[in-house]
Amino acid sequence: MQLTRRQILTSAALPWAPNRPKIAAIITEYRKFSHGQHIVDRFLEGYGWDGEHHHPAMDLVSLYVDQHPNGDLTEDRAKRFPGMKVYKTIAEALTSGTGKLAVDGVMLVGEHGKYERNEKGQTKYPRYEFFKEIVKVFEASGRVVPVFNDKHLSWNWEWAKEMYDTARRMKFPLMAGSSLPVTWRTPSLEFPTGARVEEAMCVCYGGVDSYDFHGLETLQGMVERRRGGETGVEWVQAYRGENFWKAYQEKVWPTELVEAALCRSHTLVPAREGFNNIFPTLADMKRIVKNPVAYRYKHADGLMSTMILMSGLLRDFNFSAKITGQKDLFSTQMYLPMPDGRTTLANFFSPLVYNAELMYLTGKETYPLERTLLTTGLTAAGVESLFQSEKQLKTPHLGIRYQATKESTFWRS
Amino acid sequence: MKRIAIVSSIYRYLSHAQHMGDRFLIGYPHEGKWHKPDVQVVSLYVDQKPKGDQSEERAKEFGFKVYPTIAETLRCGTDKLAVDGVVIICEHGEYSKNELGQVLYPRHEFFKACTEVFEKDGRAVPVYNDKHLSFSFEKAKWMMDEARRLKFPVLAGSSLPVTWRLPDIEIPLGSVIDEALMVGVGGSDPMDYHALEAMQCMIERRKGGETGVKSVQLLEGEAAWNAPYSKDLLISALSRSDTPLGLTETDGRTQDLVRTGELKRLVAKPAAYLIEHNDGLKTTLLMLNGAVKDFTFAAKVRGRGTMSTQFLLTPVPNVTYSACLVGKIEEMMVTGRAPYPAARTLIVSGMLESCLQSKQKGGEKLMTPQLSVRYNAPAQSQHARR
Repeated sequence: MQLTRRQILTSAALPWAPNRPKIAAIITEYRKFSHGQHIVDRFLEGYGWDGEHHHPAMDLVSLYVDQHPNGDLTEDRAKRFPGMKVYKTIAEALTSGTGKLAVDGVMLVGEHGKYERNEKGQTKYPRYEFFKEIVKVFEASGRVVPVFNDKHLSWNWEWAKEMYDTARRMKFPLMAGSSLPVTWRTPSLEFPTGARVEEAMCVCYGGVDSYDFHGLETLQGMVERRRGGETGVEWVQAYRGENFWKAYQEKVWPTELVEAALCRSHTLVPAREGFNNIFPTLADMKRIVKNPVAYRYKHADGLMSTMILMSGLLRDFNFSAKITGQKDLFSTQMYLPMPDGRTTLANFFSPLVYNAELMYLTGKETYPLERTLLTTGLTAAGVESLFQSEKQLKTPHLGIRYQATKESTFWRS
Repeated sequence: MKRIAIVSSIYRYLSHAQHMGDRFLIGYPHEGKWHKPDVQVVSLYVDQKPKGDQSEERAKEFGFKVYPTIAETLRCGTDKLAVDGVVIICEHGEYSKNELGQVLYPRHEFFKACTEVFEKDGRAVPVYNDKHLSFSFEKAKWMMDEARRLKFPVLAGSSLPVTWRLPDIEIPLGSVIDEALMVGVGGSDPMDYHALEAMQCMIERRKGGETGVKSVQLLEGEAAWNAPYSKDLLISALSRSDTPLGLTETDGRTQDLVRTGELKRLVAKPAAYLIEHNDGLKTTLLMLNGAVKDFTFAAKVRGRGTMSTQFLLTPVPNVTYSACLVGKIEEMMVTGRAPYPAARTLIVSGMLESCLQSKQKGGEKLMTPQLSVRYNAPAQSQHARR
């Protein structure tokens, strides 16, 4: 019998249901608004989902926290949730001190915390190192369980590829990525499956080796649904500062797509005093955006994608695309309830956690890992292009082909 | 191109008149485009000119005139009605309050000044009235009767019914609704009005349409918690909130505010607005200042279980929800038809006034035969979803 997602979750939520999965969380830090806090708290406290306060049908039984900065919440949570034990090593967290893998799923959150930055500006978050530790336990125990990796796989492409290959070789489900592909959209639109698309764009904000990844995931979560599916990326070129504006004026990317994306924003900084919501001219943009960045890249099937960071001008993620045969441009906003004064909860973590839960319960990835492998490589390539004076870089290693899921996986219920 | 007049209380940065009026001047985001309106602002009336007044500045830049009276504004200095539509935005400005705590915005007076011109000049044009029609149901009713007598379309109300919803749900037309509940925040009477209208735009889609309001009661404090509304609906509505306060502010945690009891701890002055409709439907607005900062809704819809959503109020200063509303105003000005009934705003204006009277009488239940306003919801959804 084929069970629906809701049936799976509801049946497993019954207290007498056997095999309530045990989950270990391996995180860099547990501080207010760190990714670790957003994610682990949702397992412990539950969260608003589908019109109720949903409690995951599983138990987060062990926790490893790599750093304990000021405001560390580990102790507080451990005290309030005695079912969750805190361990000093990743191996102990996974084995619960038994010497053998003792959990049914792993949540890896290697975001936030004090880690070194390299000369390219990449923060060396230890996702790969954590992953290796996890795999060591799998190997020693002769058993594997699903792993969810928050954000990109690694800042280092080779390591990311190794993580992907390891999961495939050892046959354990691995999911990864950003909240952007799974959050609300305003309007609540899905990219038309099988459409031919000529140009795609994400206009967003934030820094390099940080929100650029979210912008790339925004794009990829949409264009992967095009005719033929994803075919991989042939080259990437970054633009910054003056070069960015020059490229903008020379229409290296379609400016009408930038404009369409900006028309989906809820946070445009007013270009003129006394006006609350005015469309910026190019001169306005130049004045307002101090350090613009673009990653432009060519997919193997000819699609051109552009991810633009316009910090200062807006604080949201907006997607637009030129779809063959459609008169109007396609556009939407990937809406993030953001606790930077706008909300108190970062509820875009809810659909991310929900998808992880589905994987822990069913053993199936709910959306393709290849998406995040590709965006991991694109992030690294964008950073590399910036580092190499904005040179166009060939990316034969990003010849990653995959198909999107039939079903939509963004937040609609 | 249709010519419109804006009749406002004040035109100052982030006043309703500015953030809505400006959209007719500089365009606004609409269905993925920066839409240049098919209407032209030709005249403006401002009732007050506080510090920061922008009326003259806008008139100069956009080539229209500010007139000293509403009649002159509608006639653009000629002796006959010279516009194709009127946008009344009487919100903000210094006006006194009555004993019910209602701000005495002269919306009825503004409207009357317009209908006097329509009558004298033998022509009537569409009128948009921002927010509720009047603090007084009697005056609001008179406004609607005048519109019917002089045969011009009226659009009115809040932007909550037309903004984005998270999730993007609509109650199927003709559904049987067993109970509905709205959570709102902010002061009375501006924000309770918005919340009541948000709830009304959902429940008016029920089987038989709106049948009018039989009675209202406003309970405060412990009585509000003990009011006969469904706790499940409250849990459901709050599950749609992105802004729980208290412990979430302290350490970022998610919260089940109802079951943990935090809700009662956070809300010092809860208020329950209990509305009983003529067809038996009971609905409740809970104003829960201190617990959350957003507007959420839940209803028991037969055959569909509980349906719930958040009415997304997008951030200041863009307040793009007002662009959703301006889109509707423009639609009426261009087509000559109101996309949804102002009877919704009429009944909500009356509900609010009666609720505030109940509050003044210590929470007495008041029968409201005057609120037997019947109307049907538009078949098509009117909120932002494209």
